[in-house]
This record gives sequence, C-alpha cells and structure tokens, in this order.
Amino acid sequence: MVFNSYTFIAFFIVMLCLYNLPIAWKARKIILLLGSYVFYAAWNPPFILLLWLSTVVDFFVGRALYTQTNVTKKRLLLVLSLIGNLGMLCFFKYGTFLLENFVMLVNLIGIDFSPAKPNIILPAGISFYTFTTLCYTIDMYYKKSEPVKSMLDFSLFVTFFPHLVAGPIVRPPQLVPQFESPRNATMKQMTEGLLLLTLGLFMKVVLADGQLAPTANDIFGNSGAYLALDAWMGVLAFSGQIFFDFAGYSTCAIGVALCLGFVLPENFKYPYAAVGFSDFWRRWHITLSAWLRDYLYIPLGGNRQGQLKTYINLMVTMLLGGLWHGANWTFVVWGGLHGFYLWVEKFIKDKFSRKNAPVDQDIAVAGITASNSSLAFIYALFTFFLINVTWVFFRATTFSQAWTLLSSMFGMSGDVEPALTTLAIIKVSVIISLMVIAHWLMRKSSVLQLALKIPWWFLAIVWALMLMALALSQESSSSFIYFQF
Amino acid sequence: MSSTPLKRPAIAAALLFVLGILAWEFYQRKEGVNISYDDDGPLWAYHRARVYQPADQSTVFIGSSRIKFDLDIDTWESITGDNPVQLACVGSTPLPVLYDLADDPDFKGRLVIDVTEGLFFSTNPGNRARPDKALKYYKDITPAQCASFVLNRGLESTFVFLDREDISLNALMEHWEIPSRPGVFMAPIFPRDFDRVKFDRQEYMGPIFLADTAQINKQRSIWALFASMNKKPPISGAPLDSILQTVKVATDKIQSRGGQILFVRTPSSGPFKEKEAMGFPRDQYWEKILAVTGCPGLHYEDFPEISAYQCPEFSHLSPTDAIDFTKHFIRILQEKQGWKFPKMKSI
Repeated sequence: MVFNSYTFIAFFIVMLCLYNLPIAWKARKIILLLGSYVFYAAWNPPFILLLWLSTVVDFFVGRALYTQTNVTKKRLLLVLSLIGNLGMLCFFKYGTFLLENFVMLVNLIGIDFSPAKPNIILPAGISFYTFTTLCYTIDMYYKKSEPVKSMLDFSLFVTFFPHLVAGPIVRPPQLVPQFESPRNATMKQMTEGLLLLTLGLFMKVVLADGQLAPTANDIFGNSGAYLALDAWMGVLAFSGQIFFDFAGYSTCAIGVALCLGFVLPENFKYPYAAVGFSDFWRRWHITLSAWLRDYLYIPLGGNRQGQLKTYINLMVTMLLGGLWHGANWTFVVWGGLHGFYLWVEKFIKDKFSRKNAPVDQDIAVAGITASNSSLAFIYALFTFFLINVTWVFFRATTFSQAWTLLSSMFGMSGDVEPALTTLAIIKVSVIISLMVIAHWLMRKSSVLQLALKIPWWFLAIVWALMLMALALSQESSSSFIYFQF
Repeated sequence: MSSTPLKRPAIAAALLFVLGILAWEFYQRKEGVNISYDDDGPLWAYHRARVYQPADQSTVFIGSSRIKFDLDIDTWESITGDNPVQLACVGSTPLPVLYDLADDPDFKGRLVIDVTEGLFFSTNPGNRARPDKALKYYKDITPAQCASFVLNRGLESTFVFLDREDISLNALMEHWEIPSRPGVFMAPIFPRDFDRVKFDRQEYMGPIFLADTAQINKQRSIWALFASMNKKPPISGAPLDSILQTVKVATDKIQSRGGQILFVRTPSSGPFKEKEAMGFPRDQYWEKILAVTGCPGLHYEDFPEISAYQCPEFSHLSPTDAIDFTKHFIRILQEKQGWKFPKMKSI
C-alpha cells in the first residue's frame, strides 16, 4: 500500500494501537512483522513469496558465511547469495530489457528472431529489499558485523514496512540493534514523527502529484519539440516532482518509523543546494549512494589503485547506479552523465585544490572554492542547471525524445507553438524558486531543528495549512515514482 | 525547554485543521453545493465488478455522457426492480468497454449501448482515454485500492469539500481562468454545478446551474467550441466499415453467450441536434449499426413521447426530463422490444 492512501492511514492507526499493547516485546515484534507483510501483500499478494524466499535464504546463508572458515566454501556461499538476490532482480526487473537487447543484437547480425514479449510484472520494492539483504550477506562475508541472532529480527530488518518498498536502504547495524530491546515512541518522537509524516505527504500529494506532475507529464508525454520556455518548465517541473515524490516518501518513512520508536537513516539533505556533484550525491538518495560507494566503488578498488582506475571505478559505479534506476539505456546515460560530471569535478579538484585552499569546507567541495556564500549560491545554481539536463534522460522514454527536448531547452526547436498555460508556468516557477531557496537556506539544518527554532504558533499554522492543503488536494493515491525502480 | 516541544504546536495544528475544514465544509454547503463523487477509475471499477448479475435482474449501460444524464438510475431501479450498472464514460466512445465485456466470458447480461455518433465513431485517442484508463484500473486493482475505495466512499458520502472535480485545490485554481499565452489551448472550465455525480454514476445538472442562464449559455458555447475544433469530416467508407465489423464481432460474442443487446440514441436539441443530423445522417450511421450488427435499436426520434425534449445546453436532459424519459424508455422497451422485468412495479 502507499502512504498517501486512506488504507495506509487506517492501517497505521491499527498498527499503532496493536504495537503499543502492554504485551511481551517478542509479541509486539511479531505484530510489526505481520503488519509489514500485510502492508506488502496489499499490493500484490503472490509477491510476498519472493520476499520470504529472499529473507530465509539470506538469513541462513549470512550465518553460514560468518561462521565458515573454508575460503572456497565461503566464496561459494557468497556467489549463491549474489546469484539468488541479483538473479531475482535481473529476471523481474531486467528480463524484458535483456531480451529486447538480445533480439536487437541477433537481428543486427542478420538472424531473424522475434520471441513473444514476456509479460513480467515488477514486484514492488524489489530493488530496495534486494540491496538490503545483499548488504547483509556481504557484511557477513567480510565479518563487518555480527550475524543477526533471531529469524524474527532478521525478517523484521528486511521487511519493516516503513522502509520496505522504497527505502531508505538500511544496513543491519542501523536497524537490527533497535529490535533487540523493547522500544516505545516517546511523546517527542511521536510528535516529530507526525510532523515528518505530514510534511512527507504534503510534498508527495500536494506538490509532486498535485502541482508539478501535470506539467511534467504534458511535456514528457509528447515527443515533439517545444519552445525553450515550455521545455524548461517541463524539465523543472519534473526536477521538483521527483524530489518531492521521493524525498516525500523518505520523509514519510522516517516519520512513520519514529512514531513507532525507530530511527531510520536520513535519505535526502536539500540536494538542490549541492555545490558540485560529489556534494549532490551526499545529499540525494544518501543511503543508495553510500551503498554503491561501500559495496561497489570500494570493492572495485575505489581511489586506491591510481588515477586512471579511480576514474574508471567512478564511471562503472555511476553507470550501474543508473541502470539500478530502470531497465532502459536512458537510465544508463543518466548515470553516465553524472559519472562524467564527477570526472570533471575530480579533475578540477586534483588540479587546483592545492593551490586554492577552500575558505568554507562545506561549500568548497570537489575543488570548487568560494570566498563567499553568494558565489557558492551561483555554483549551486550551476549544479542545479546541470542536474536538470540529466533529468531529461531520466524521464524521457527514448533517446530521440531526450534529444528533441534538449534541443528545445537550448532554443533549437524551430517554429513551434507554445504549449503550457500561464497557470502551469506560474505554478512551476513559484514552487521551483521557493524549493531552491529553501534548499539553500536549509542546507546546514534540518526540518526538526527548524521546527524547534520557530515560534510554536507559527509552526502550528504551517502544520495546519499543510494538512488543509492535503485534504483539499484530493489527488488520487498514485504510486511513488521510485516504486518502479 | 520542554521535553516535548512539538506537543503544543501539534495540538494547535490539529485544532486549526479541524476548524478550518469544518468552516470550509459549512461555507460550501451554504453556497448550495451538495455531495458529488469522483467519477474516476475506482468508482468505475466498483461498478464494472457488478456486471455479473443474471440478465433478468440487471442491465448494463455503456456509452457517452448522454446516457449518464438521460437515464435516471433511481427511476429505472424503482420501476423495473433490477440493478442497473452505469459504465458509460463522459466524452468517450463506448467501444473499449464493449470490447472488454465481449471478451469477458462471464458477462452474459443485458447491455444497452448509447450511441452519440460523434463519439461512438471517433478515432481520436482522446475519446478512448477515459474508458482505457478505467479498464486498466479495474484490471490492475490491488487489495489496498479496494480497501481505500471503501474508506473513501464513507468520507465522500459525508463531506462536500471532497468534491475533486469542483472544489479541489487544482479545480479552485483552474476557476481563476487566468488568460493564457496566445496559441495555447486552454481546456474550457465547465460550470461548477453542470455535472454532479451520484454514487451509482448517475450524472445530473444541479439546481444552481439550471437556474443560471449565464452558466447554461457558457456550457452551450463550450459544446460549440468542441464542435468547431473537430475539423475532420466524419468517418466514412472503409474505416467506418472496419469499426462496424469490430462492433459486430463484439455484439455477436455477447449474444452467443445468451447476452441481450440494444442500441439507443438519446435526445439532443437545438443547434446541436441540427449539426449532428448533418454530420452523421441517420441512414449512414445509426441504421448501419443496426443493419450490420443485427441488434435492435431505439432512436428517440421514432417515439413522439420522447422526441421533443429541450435539453438545457442542447445535449443532455435536465433531471426532471431524465425521469420522464426513463419512464417512457422502460415502457417502450417492454412494448416494442419485449423486455421483461420480473420485479417490475407499475409505472
């Protein structure tokens, strides 16, 4: 089920009541686990079998990996886990994509092969829970942490409903210890959780679905050329939509977990205030970038094997990171563009960092130094501009559509009719401007810190207005964009 | 500092929210607004799941907006005693729904197909977007969506402010009618009270709309705008024959399972009627449907008692006329088509 639905509100109220019953901790954990399965099965019940399979296999393989002393057997076990997890992901997520590319390839060499198109349904959240279980078995292989003692705790670690279908991607040490002793949300956690839940829903329902999605869909829904203004508004709308959608989900997830007394890791930190791309990936989908860094980039060699290898590792990580987002070459190009930007940034950093000592470490990332914050803001705007270019490949369904839109953005569309209404342009301009300003002002802070700083009556009014906007939006409970990844 | 610093703002926010929403609700009610349901995928899917009742206990209606306005569900239900299922979609061709029912081996019921020629024979993808979306929702529905529908039904039946079509945040902004850039097509905004929707998907014009000549004229001009936008000549020749053949295949499938089908042409008036008669001459379209499919049909012009209605905005009947039309419709079905309603009450 999705957070932005009446079903979830009812489910959450029931879960809160049951979880807070004065019963044994183990019984409360069983309630949480069963609730999490209901949460998942409410989508497509048969896919819960995959979740069980993944949980059971990785629990036992993880334990065996930790205790196994024979290196060959240990490697075999790791391969078993990788094949199990990645095989499932490959089949469900990349099956059709792989087949299409295979067909294209054999057709290119003159073999006439046209198989029936497979009808594979993508299980919700498979990319997320696969990464969650994978990091456990890899940690066990390297003995980075202790194996989880009970099947119940491990199942709950994998399945805990707030993070199950779209993250944040949690690591065992972040969540498993929280299941070991009884937890009850304090009043402070409860109110903070409810504030975050309201904010997350406001971001998703009001801003992403209600105000920005229609404009993004209008522009990306057609493959024709546009005037530069229309093309930019469409891309900016998507830029805002994907942030509010995904950060909204993460904010809801963190808020829901907090209401139950659990702390999930931060996943977004005002990414559109990033100065440079290293900074962006420290602020956007933080748990995924940390996962890719720790389980892909570093095992590939990271920056320890010379400059050339570092550049290659960086690009491989970003290309695979792109492919993780979707089974389409456009996602690979999106990742490649980010890799390229990181290359350029690293090159500048390596060349100039020793000559110009940064004034402010926080904004002087990737070798870009700034003597004052207004210059840093200009760098941030430039980063935002480049990020918008990458979003074109992320959202476009074909390269031809992406090129046409990019041409339109840079005024090379020729003689075309305007497309967007004045109201749509006003909405996008106002929301995106406020979003960028808010990101910049909040870049060193957090929502909860701000909530404690402002007068209580002002917070109450803002909170009530968000609730009112939610009630008046009446958007249907559409899925979160990242569910498809 | 308090150990629970957000407790006070949380309580105050909850109070402000409840007060604000109640004030908004009372204001809308005071303005004369009443309950109207969101006629989107979930409501359509709920009714689509009801088509499997025995043919003598239920009738399924598909088509465009006319059958939704013109057939009064309450009247039909109270007189015939059967359970009508309204599956028509506004501004749409009924063909996707017809094909879906034809391909459903479990549907063996009674089907009334409303023919608004400009939509029925339309090849514009926009005219099949709604039924396609509704069908996709029905086929992909999840247990969570079913549960949300049940909860939403209770809320939508209670609060006027949950009217998505007219009082949602976006609808309110649309009603500002900010002029747009030259060359940008702005979809016209329908008058607020023009198309109200009941839970059974009955559509009707509200009293505020019917009492306001300016609003009625606005709606007439919107229809005129739509008509002027369609520059293509009506479909004819081979493409028309192709559509008719696919319709025949579908109707044959349903009839072969014991299903019963009737085509109906509901009233229009004024300039709308004249333009329809010019664009879609009866002998080239309506008569052809009946001839090709071999199904019975009922054209309002053939029956004096239902041929003289004046549609307020030229295209749909007022609620009062819809009741009258439905009574005559039932009687004609019995007398001319031999339809039987086992639970029938007297008219």
